[in-house]
Amino acid sequence: MRALREALILVALAALPAIGEGFYFRDKVSWQSPIPASELVTVDQAKAWGEGAIWVDARPDDEFAKDHVPGAFSLNEDRWNELLPQFLPNWSPDKKVIVYCSAASCNAARDVAKRLRNEAQLKDVFVLQGGWEEWVKTRR
Amino acid sequence: MKTSILTFTLSILLCAGVRAELKWGQQTIDLKPGIGDKTAVAHFKYENVGTTPVHFKSVKASCGCTATQSQKEVVNPKEKGEITATFTIGDRTGLQTKTVTVQTDDPNPAQATTILTLRTNIPTALEIRPTFVYWQQGEEPKLKKIFVKASKDFPAKNITVKSNNDLFTANVTAGSAPGEWNIEVAPKETTRAIGTSLTIQTDYPKDAPKSFYVNAQVTNPPSQNNPANTQVPPLLRRPNTPAGPIAPAMKRPTSPAPASSPAKAATPAAIPSPSTAH
Repeated sequence: MRALREALILVALAALPAIGEGFYFRDKVSWQSPIPASELVTVDQAKAWGEGAIWVDARPDDEFAKDHVPGAFSLNEDRWNELLPQFLPNWSPDKKVIVYCSAASCNAARDVAKRLRNEAQLKDVFVLQGGWEEWVKTRR
Repeated sequence: MKTSILTFTLSILLCAGVRAELKWGQQTIDLKPGIGDKTAVAHFKYENVGTTPVHFKSVKASCGCTATQSQKEVVNPKEKGEITATFTIGDRTGLQTKTVTVQTDDPNPAQATTILTLRTNIPTALEIRPTFVYWQQGEEPKLKKIFVKASKDFPAKNITVKSNNDLFTANVTAGSAPGEWNIEVAPKETTRAIGTSLTIQTDYPKDAPKSFYVNAQVTNPPSQNNPANTQVPPLLRRPNTPAGPIAPAMKRPTSPAPASSPAKAATPAAIPSPSTAH
């Protein structure tokens, strides 16, 4: 009984700094939900789609200019209104759209994919898992 | 038992005391840019409340759209300063969350990295749904509707719409409430891949009316032997349809696409710039 009471006291004491830490770092918690698995595509899957897929590079212009997936179209939110009309004539309803940004940690691909789905109401829009970083790894 | 509890408590207090060197005013800042603002700027203030100088090792934004600036490289004890994060809005809309990761030489790893968050809700002057309508080649060229609604802070009374391709018609009709409209758009033919960019112009502000864009397209027929079509029922495809030409790009880029962009190859003419974007 005594041992149980001591254990409970220690747990309570350990909980205090944990609560304090949680409160102190409350702003660091990411509230953004992860991308649903159904909206993600791996590099291998995307490659298997071949010409049935259209690639969209959501990274800034300078990164796109350095290098990009062959055949990809640049479509970022810095110049959305200019770039979207360049991309759409190359889209057709039977094509899947694969959007990528720099790495797994970036949000640009997710945001661009969301706008393509919600605003332009395109179907079959996917985000490339791991982004450009993952593509480069598989290219080696 | 008492000794162990005391030791445990003291060790926790000591750990907590070691890390409090660079103290941040706010680690999350909410900004409210106005309609048409180009940037949103956040000032993250800090103070070195410790006894030793703190060196910034790196200040990195999560997005190329956010530029950061730190006033100093070294922050001496009791010294204050700020890190400025300038978020370039571009053509973004809605809720945006950008982070800035600050790394210092603080010996406590938990304190060495701080993530600053900048949240903005970019107001939209006009809500337009959808921003893209299309017809497949051979499909009946029926009218398609686009719904437009002015936001509360944008008191536009009227809008006009203009197509940059005569092969499309576009007309505006009043919606069910003031500040709401419907745009009816249709191609004159669907025998080939064609496209247009519709420019929607508001009557507000009077001295500088704003322009918004919608795209309409007669798409290429589905391509044959398309591996991505495995989920599409065969009856919906037209396997004997020859592949059509790539549709002419809808006109409107302001700056040229990077040289390696395939979009450039598909864009025969360069194009007048949009005066304002949403």
